[in-house]
Amino acid sequence: MSRTIPRAILGAAALVAIASGLWLAFTSSPDVFQGDYVRILYVHVPGSWLAFLAFGVTALGSAGWLLTKRMAFDRIAEASAEIGVLFTAVSLFTGMLWGYPVWGTFWDWSDPRMSSTALMFFVYLGYLALRRSVNDPIARARRSAILGIVAVVQVPLVYFSVTLWRSLHQGMTVRPDGIAMDGSMVVALLANIAAFTLLYLYLMVERVRLARVEEIAAVADTELAGRTVAKPNLEGLS
Amino acid sequence: MPGPIVMLDDVSVRFGPTTVLSGVGLQVEAGMVVGVGGRNGVGKTTLLGVIATLVPVAGGQGRVLGAELGTDGVRNIRPRIGWSGHEPSLYDDLTLQENLHLTADLAGLSREEADDALGRVGLAAAGHRRAGLSSNGMRRRTDLAALLMRRPDLLCLDEAHAGLDEDADAIVGALTDLTCRRGGAVVMVSHDAARLRAECDEVLILDSEAP
Amino acid sequence: MSRFWTQALAIARRDLIVEGRSRETVAVVVPFAAAAVFVVPFATDALDVRLATLAFPVYWLVGLLFGMQVALRQSAMETPSQRRQLALLGVDPVARFTGRVLSAAALVLVVLVVTAPLVLLFYDPEPIARPWSMAGVLVLFALGLAMVSTLAGDVTAGLATRTSLAPLLIVPVSVPLLLGAAQALESVVRGRTTLPWVLTLVVTDLALAVTGVVTARALEESNT
Repeated sequence: MSRTIPRAILGAAALVAIASGLWLAFTSSPDVFQGDYVRILYVHVPGSWLAFLAFGVTALGSAGWLLTKRMAFDRIAEASAEIGVLFTAVSLFTGMLWGYPVWGTFWDWSDPRMSSTALMFFVYLGYLALRRSVNDPIARARRSAILGIVAVVQVPLVYFSVTLWRSLHQGMTVRPDGIAMDGSMVVALLANIAAFTLLYLYLMVERVRLARVEEIAAVADTELAGRTVAKPNLEGLS
Repeated sequence: MPGPIVMLDDVSVRFGPTTVLSGVGLQVEAGMVVGVGGRNGVGKTTLLGVIATLVPVAGGQGRVLGAELGTDGVRNIRPRIGWSGHEPSLYDDLTLQENLHLTADLAGLSREEADDALGRVGLAAAGHRRAGLSSNGMRRRTDLAALLMRRPDLLCLDEAHAGLDEDADAIVGALTDLTCRRGGAVVMVSHDAARLRAECDEVLILDSEAP
Repeated sequence: MSRFWTQALAIARRDLIVEGRSRETVAVVVPFAAAAVFVVPFATDALDVRLATLAFPVYWLVGLLFGMQVALRQSAMETPSQRRQLALLGVDPVARFTGRVLSAAALVLVVLVVTAPLVLLFYDPEPIARPWSMAGVLVLFALGLAMVSTLAGDVTAGLATRTSLAPLLIVPVSVPLLLGAAQALESVVRGRTTLPWVLTLVVTDLALAVTGVVTARALEESNT
């Protein structure tokens, strides 16, 4: 009960933040060139940011497990990877929705950001598939940890792809020399990034808690298995 | 059923260039428990496979439940043969109950009979457990429940007592008694010579050194 | 219901329940197929080559190779003790073959249905005026692939080289399926009749079905 209230508060805060962020997204100024289609970016950009954050946390959790062998790190790595895959899918989907009216196509192979993000999506799908394929918790944690650390190399490659390769994608908006956006748009974008980060924290807390419950249930289930075996009833067989 | 349950005469079995069995003769009458013993690798399980009509013979002749070995007639009598070994035939991703229901569906029996058999072996409360996550003892009991349900006329036991607790051992004993009472027969393979002497009416010892 | 169909449907149900819990197809093979659709353009100069011309060949090749992998999946393989059990239960080998084919065909269809929108998205092919007219072709292709893969799986059961030998057996025999399905799709796009190619698929499926029925007993004897 004592842990339920802070979780509920975090969930409520995330909900309020998301609602506020969406309100700002719909009330901010339209873009000079993109018009109202720019509003999709207030979900697309936070989705991408969350994916990067999530996969980074997966790598940290993986390293933590390899160093300490504490299962809490593995639970964090798994939870963060699941959330990361979800928001990578959100990022890809909203990116395509935005791309069609603005670029004239849902998908453009000349854009390395799109291609590299999709590659990252498939790699982490593979990470989740690997976890599902290994029954032993220690072996699962070890193999996933190795993949989780190797796979995170993609995150900086995806982020810097717009500058490393000639790209159709919008360049970096937040640069050392300033922010290339209207004030209300900046507010909407930053508010949504903060809201999605809060959402990530809430989802992480819930997912890690669920993983812990599943682990406890699995152990309890093993201990109780013997109690489900009764003496045979062999009388009256004919 | 007239005639012996199993009759083998000078049977030999070859796997590729290797002769596994040679000159084996055996007769099992209704109501008998026959044991098969011998050292590891001498062909006990192979002989049981011949008796279960699953291993083809290279020489000699035999009849099981009235069907000539090596003919299409064995297909008709196979549903009357039961097999229990140390390796259960369950599907890991199905529950114990689902495994038994599958057996019932394939054998043309009712699911109620399957549930009754599961209860008989003491697993009524464990039926929801996946086979792959159940202990070997529970898996073996489920296999035995399938035999209780099917009531075979010829029961083939391949080291069936290995690794079983006292209660599960009693199930194997009950199955053996039931089969014999109903006019069937049991062929039991074991390396436990004491058990063979105690539980079998006759014991055949396979010996690859004998002329 | 006849004993044959009771057994066949019980086998099919078993396979689909096992797949539903192991999720080997949904969680591994389907994402793999999707990834394959995605990475092919990296092997071309996607800016110069009209990817649209690659769309349909890639679709059918991915459907063939990954559909084959679905039908040969490890979770569908029976252990020696399970095969012995089926023989002693008096399961009709043809019923077993039928049940295995039905479940494999359903899963192959999942691969085909999931990869179709991805091909449309990544390759932007010519529009298909009557996409629903391909439903029958997909079913025939899936059934044929399921049959040839089930046969190859049974022929290579228990062999150490199964994972490489079975695909080697399947691919050449699947050429009529590939031809019929690919040409049927081209015909739909061009507004021509698909009848010759649908007949090709039907005849191939019938030949595979007859082969499965005729060889079922012999394969059971060799694998039990």
